[in-house]
Amino acid sequence: MSSAPTTKNMAATEIVIDDTFAEAFPMRATRVVITAHNLNWARIAAASMTGFATSVIACGCEAGIERELVPDETPDGRPGVAVLMFAMSSKELAKQLERRVGQCVLTCPTTAIYGGLDAGDAIPLGKNLRYFADGWQIGKMIDGRRYWRLPVMDGEFVAEENTRMTKGVGGGNLLFLARDTEAALGAAEAAVTAMRGVPNVIMPFPGGVVRSGSKVGSKYPAAMASTNDAFCPALTNLAKKTELDAGTRCVMEVVIDGLTDTDVANAMRAGLQAVIARGVDAGCTRISAGNYGGKLGPFHFHLRRLLGEGA
Amino acid sequence: MTTAFRFILRSAPRFRVDLQGLLPAADLSVTALGNRRVLHGHDAIALGDLFRIDEQPAGAEPAFSFQGDLSRFDRLGAGLAAGRIAVEGDAGDYLGLQMTGGAIELDGSAGLLAGCEMAGGRLHVAGNVGDYAAGALPGSMDGMRGGDFIIGGNAGERLADRMRRGTLVVHGDAGAFCASRMVAGTLAIGGRVGAHCGWGQRRGSLVFAGAAPALPDTFVPTDYDFRVIWQLLARSLAKRGGVFASLAARSPTRHAGDVAAGGKGEWWIAA
Repeated sequence: MSSAPTTKNMAATEIVIDDTFAEAFPMRATRVVITAHNLNWARIAAASMTGFATSVIACGCEAGIERELVPDETPDGRPGVAVLMFAMSSKELAKQLERRVGQCVLTCPTTAIYGGLDAGDAIPLGKNLRYFADGWQIGKMIDGRRYWRLPVMDGEFVAEENTRMTKGVGGGNLLFLARDTEAALGAAEAAVTAMRGVPNVIMPFPGGVVRSGSKVGSKYPAAMASTNDAFCPALTNLAKKTELDAGTRCVMEVVIDGLTDTDVANAMRAGLQAVIARGVDAGCTRISAGNYGGKLGPFHFHLRRLLGEGA
Repeated sequence: MTTAFRFILRSAPRFRVDLQGLLPAADLSVTALGNRRVLHGHDAIALGDLFRIDEQPAGAEPAFSFQGDLSRFDRLGAGLAAGRIAVEGDAGDYLGLQMTGGAIELDGSAGLLAGCEMAGGRLHVAGNVGDYAAGALPGSMDGMRGGDFIIGGNAGERLADRMRRGTLVVHGDAGAFCASRMVAGTLAIGGRVGAHCGWGQRRGSLVFAGAAPALPDTFVPTDYDFRVIWQLLARSLAKRGGVFASLAARSPTRHAGDVAAGGKGEWWIAA
């Protein structure tokens, strides 16, 4: 991602919030609920299903664990995990969902899977996976929802026939500019922790944090994205354009996908506030955001407006 | 604009009355309803001669309420797609025949073929129903094929014959050949069942919450961890109250059958 021009107010006593915005895009999104015999196995299934789902650039989808669910919140009364998945098209979302459920949830001991949205277009969850049962599958309609029951070696894999798909927002982001690696990691981790308390969002990168922020395009025609050189400390004195000053030695980014733009805004605000609350002495000196000049994505999240400034 | 009407039976008719087509709608009036002619034996008779009809305060949806012994009135609510019908008393045969939506509340008992081929909506009979409830019309391949059917009392013979979809809950007993040739759906029984239960059952779920049935030779035990689907099923049925309210806390046994018809039907014995 490239960055818009910033207004820098380098007061040493507070973290500088750039006068810029994060630019986000419409995506297709769904939520599924995975339950298991205990929370450990639900987590394992969810982690497996959302593995290699950091970016649509090469993963096909972006997915992550939204939150853990207590037994009272799940359809079958077992502990569970809510997973959000985002893709650039309905077709790709359906493909990724089916593959990942088939290879990572169906295979995981004791799991069951249910749709997690009540409205939107239906996309298959267990609808096609049922054929794995080789004719032994049983369909069961309960309270208007159809479930498929597949005999498996630990008993029965229960999967709701469909989940629902909605229009989501992907690509909300914050960039934490810090004096060193420890400070940048600390800021990013604090932001991610705060954002995980916000419903309807995921931070799809490893641990919620990405160190290889990208810009659109490359000097190599085959590459659709390349390193965000303006934010690379190694290139501060080399690149044609840099966004960093000499004291910035490490930058971490948090990318946020949400079911609505309001959800993304809420998560970004929570992340901003968490890092600001730590103070500039914790080593994060500036917070910025990535955008494409406002020409590509319809959702613009202005950092200062999120904090109630200059609305 | 929605409309609501009350029908108070003047006196019991001499012959059976066919109420096919008499359904709540938005554009009705007392006069039009009173002049409407229905079959009475081999003749037609004006509804106004059978009932005293008055308009009631309109609710959210069109509604009829009947008062009196309607046990000679057949096809009450047949083909209902929307609206509500409430009956204070008994009803005749074919109550809710082929209904697809809306709701029928009967606080008495119904005759033969109640809920026959119903495909949607909610049918609640507080009392008993006769034979062939939730079944198929003669010559038809499928019986009940959707919706919620709740029977507060007992059901006659051939309950849910060829039932294909939907949920049928009987708080009392069911007669012989219950769930015979059942294709799919859910049937929960709070009392006892008669002979030949599940004869030719192809798929579908029977839940026995009150008394354990005699197991036919064509049903085999299946012993595995089925708690997930049981919780989904039991929690849904628990909303019907009565003996079903505690189902989720029970540990049932499961049998599959009729193996002579594929063996994909199941009996949950949670008595």
